Amino acid sequence: MRPGTIDSLISSRQLTKVYTTGKVETPALRGVDLEVRAGEFTAIVGPSGSGKTTLLNLIGALDSATGGELVVLGRNVGTMSRRERADMRLRELGFVFQAYNLVPVLTALENVEFVLELQGVGDARRRRAREVIEQLGLTPLAGRRPGELSGGQQQRVAVARAVASLPRLVLADEPTANLDGENAEVLLQMMHDLNREHHITFIFSTHDPRVITHAGRVVTLVDGRVAENTER
Amino acid sequence: MIGRISAKYALRSLGRHPRRTILSILGVGIGVAIGIAATSWIRGGAEMQIRAVSESGTGHLRIVPRGWSAERDITLRLAGGQDTARMVAAFPGVANAAPRSRVNGLLAFGNRNAGVEIVGVRPEVERRANRIVYKSKIEGRYLRPDDRGRVVIGRTIADRLRVELEDDLYVTLAGADGVRGAMLRITGILATGVRDLDATVCHVTLDTLKEISGYTGTGDISILLDDHRRIEETRRELALLLDQAEVLTWKEVNPGIAANVDGDRGFIRAMVGVIIMVVGLGIISAQLTAVMERRREMAVLTALGMKAGQVIGLVVIEALAVALGGAAVALVLGGTASYWLAVRGFNLQALMGPDFTFGDVLLDPYIYGDFGPWIIAYALVLSVAATVAASLYPAWIAARLQPADALRM
Repeated sequence: MRPGTIDSLISSRQLTKVYTTGKVETPALRGVDLEVRAGEFTAIVGPSGSGKTTLLNLIGALDSATGGELVVLGRNVGTMSRRERADMRLRELGFVFQAYNLVPVLTALENVEFVLELQGVGDARRRRAREVIEQLGLTPLAGRRPGELSGGQQQRVAVARAVASLPRLVLADEPTANLDGENAEVLLQMMHDLNREHHITFIFSTHDPRVITHAGRVVTLVDGRVAENTER
Repeated sequence: MIGRISAKYALRSLGRHPRRTILSILGVGIGVAIGIAATSWIRGGAEMQIRAVSESGTGHLRIVPRGWSAERDITLRLAGGQDTARMVAAFPGVANAAPRSRVNGLLAFGNRNAGVEIVGVRPEVERRANRIVYKSKIEGRYLRPDDRGRVVIGRTIADRLRVELEDDLYVTLAGADGVRGAMLRITGILATGVRDLDATVCHVTLDTLKEISGYTGTGDISILLDDHRRIEETRRELALLLDQAEVLTWKEVNPGIAANVDGDRGFIRAMVGVIIMVVGLGIISAQLTAVMERRREMAVLTALGMKAGQVIGLVVIEALAVALGGAAVALVLGGTASYWLAVRGFNLQALMGPDFTFGDVLLDPYIYGDFGPWIIAYALVLSVAATVAASLYPAWIAARLQPADALRM
């Protein structure tokens, strides 16, 4: 099957990534074949160093592959310019990071509004940011800065930021790694709802079995290769 | 384009390290304030020198016979000099038009003599237009329009010849038809306070000079303007009206002073340039540190889709805020220093002794700084230009951050 066909949102063939430090080459991905369809809730699991974050970075056009082919949202990422990649990230992708990575000098509402501003959304951006904040139950926290929020609250704001512009694909790197059980469950439920209601495709890298139970597909990476690809 | 939230982000980021921000603002402010004070000083100094040279006989402009510039031949005369002087005196923006003629001569008393340039003047104009006349102490009196055969000499010449008021000097000069001699009675001895300058003063009326030299007509007309900034404009307008004459600026007549003024300006510009460069390096260092501290944050913003131009915009907005703060500090410090210089002045006598001349120009012992609205524009332009320019390298570094590399940290 050719990558990027049928209704696949993401398609990779023999995707490789080698990190080079001085003369030392460290392969992170050793030929990954993967298909993710629109609307899927996919977990990428595997031990540390198996290549989960690297794969997410490549799918998110944050990094360039060393070899193989990767088609995301119908476009071959390997042939895209830096500007085109930035544009795709801005308009069609959302990111949730393990360490939340909210802008510390902006309030929760401003963090959400910031992405909309970068997208060039005009007067409607504040209204849209408030809607998202409200939908995710974050209204009481809207005026607080990240330093005044708990880890769970910060990660929920990060999700709000990621989905504010209703992207087609959200990539989440270990989103529950720093959260306790209750907060992790709230977050996962929130993302699951967004997946169902807005048909946003989610891909997580995770060690967390709670995430895996929510996933519709689980891709297991071992030593930079897909060891298992299970649809549930 | 930078939006409201981006601007908030940039400005609030300055508050993360208030001490660093305040030091950056102070660095810019003090550097630009030094630039303002130095420029105020040099503008005041240049103003003083221009005023001094123009009021010491050179004028802001000088009308000379065509061909004078080539050899500076003082025997050349203007066609219709008196009429031209009257026409020029009535010209818009002209404060004074002083017609003069000159011959070289030798003053003698007993067995002592002194070589001088004898200058024929119109006394009523000279009293107003020539600071060597109106700023000096005069023993006796200055010339009157109807004075014939009378001379005013400088104190140094009087001392050298050992003469007093009402003594008769024998003058030998190169006349129109050969060497001539005449007697001149001393009606005044003029003391500028500067011995070298007092050795050059020898004034007679235009009519007297015509009688003793045989040269008719006016040698040149020195023009003082109400506003020296209109020199070039007035020169062009006069040049259109005068076919047989050249209109020279004070710079062309007195290139020594012009070179001095330009040299001072050049030195101050270079000095300000060095100060601003040092300040700029400080800003580069501070902003680079700020960018490197926020590598991860910048990487996240880039990951979210912020484009290189927007990243650069953020860093430049931060720099702009520092620049405006620096400009405010510069206005307070530099403005105060300039105001003090403008009101109190600086007495050069304390540094350079009592003699203030440059060639035959009587300089003022005090330099007053230039204080005016230009300081606001200067502070803003210099602060913004230096700071924003210095921010471009850190901004470029920030824009080049690879999000994946920075996020791995």
